[in-house]
Amino acid sequence: MRKTFAFVIAAAMLPAAAWAHHAFAAEFDADKPVKFKGTVKKMEWINPHAWIRIDVKGEGGQSTEWMIEAAAPNALLRRGWTKQSLLPGTEILVEGYQAKDGANRANGSVITFTDGKKLFVGSSAGDPGAAPGTTFKDK
Amino acid sequence: MRHRLIMLLAVTVLMTLVAFGQAAAAGSEAKAAPTIAKAWTQPKTPWGDPDLQGTWTSDDCIGAPMNRQASFGDREYYTEQELAQTEQRIERQQQNDLVETIAPDARVTTGPPGHWGERARRPCRQTSLVVDPPNGRTPDLTADARRRPIPEGAGNNNPKADSWEDFSYYIRCISRGVTGSIFPVIYGNGQQIVQGPGYVTILQEMVHEARVIPLNGRPHASPNVRSYMGDARGHWEGNTLVVETTNFLANKTGIGLNGGGTPTSDALRLVERYTRTSPDEIHYEVTIDDPKTFVKPFRVAFPITQEPGYRNFEYACHEGNYAMFDSLSGARAQEKKAAAAKAAGRN
Repeated sequence: MRKTFAFVIAAAMLPAAAWAHHAFAAEFDADKPVKFKGTVKKMEWINPHAWIRIDVKGEGGQSTEWMIEAAAPNALLRRGWTKQSLLPGTEILVEGYQAKDGANRANGSVITFTDGKKLFVGSSAGDPGAAPGTTFKDK
Repeated sequence: MRHRLIMLLAVTVLMTLVAFGQAAAAGSEAKAAPTIAKAWTQPKTPWGDPDLQGTWTSDDCIGAPMNRQASFGDREYYTEQELAQTEQRIERQQQNDLVETIAPDARVTTGPPGHWGERARRPCRQTSLVVDPPNGRTPDLTADARRRPIPEGAGNNNPKADSWEDFSYYIRCISRGVTGSIFPVIYGNGQQIVQGPGYVTILQEMVHEARVIPLNGRPHASPNVRSYMGDARGHWEGNTLVVETTNFLANKTGIGLNGGGTPTSDALRLVERYTRTSPDEIHYEVTIDDPKTFVKPFRVAFPITQEPGYRNFEYACHEGNYAMFDSLSGARAQEKKAAAAKAAGRN
């Protein structure tokens, strides 16, 4: 385990984990928590889930690329995300768990911008009909 | 540790269900099945068929249980009081979705963030997706079906992963089957209906299905011709589109959410009914008859709705299915670790 990773304590699995496209617990290791700051290189809008490629600087200043699993791209679009929502060069903080095979891939259980704002906030900038601001009273 | 987490999750889910069941005991039952809206006439296509065209979604019943909780008995609908509570919960969720900062006590897990999914816009009125038999529960499996292996993956936190063939057809990005492609799940519930003279086509966002349904009364294909999505034939009964589908491959997908659960047999016969009840709503129901799998037929029903701005997006599922790779390589890494530990124990 790299020294730069701070250990975090796992809590109960979210029910959502059981509903996603696949079993996250099959992919990520509950014994390998990761917590780091990274700079976005690229957001890959691919199915069935998007991935965020980030550069993480180690203690010696060397950069390592990590891939962070994100939501289904279609769900992101409907939640108000656009191509402009996470531009290259943006710094983000990631907490999650590393892939079981030891590759530099992790789930992003909690991702925030460096000012503490959450990454996956529903934005009113998206499709007005599908954004979470739409209420059932609209119908 | 994993077992403790699973136990904690199970207890949390159970407590939620019990709390809901207790709340359900009070109040009067909501009105019954959707009825045709007053002062509305079913539009027709230029060639005279009922017009069902548009993009519809089963989002409003996201999270509705397939099988009814036993404490509800034969009660098919929530009370108005219970629905008002759900309405408040949806409003709170919508407000929470707009909050820009993560709660200081946000839990870090091996799963995705809880706010990834798409959302219901209004309460689902039903206590279960299964509406017949009256107890709202899937009939028992036959003895043969009980021996049938269930592919692993979705929702199973410790899937066997000796091969990609151990995973469900959904995880493998192949298909969720006919019912799995329309039953409400956390995202990707879009159903685009396109009509032409003699045909109805239903484009299903996840996992990129296109059902082409002939209406001209031609017979089903030979029983030797079989597929994941079966051979569909449609006809109109008044303004209702009735689709009968047979010729399924055996042992592929089940009738659960995302095509999960015990895989169905080659005897599966589905009869679906699409009835437009207002400009923005279709009442959908499907009767599942598979005598080799279930001891009796049963029926699932729920509304699908049109929403402002909602449309299907591409779902090229396998283009970046790193999860399959990670699950297999993760299982191999764990085997290696276990073998090394065993070898170390011998020395």
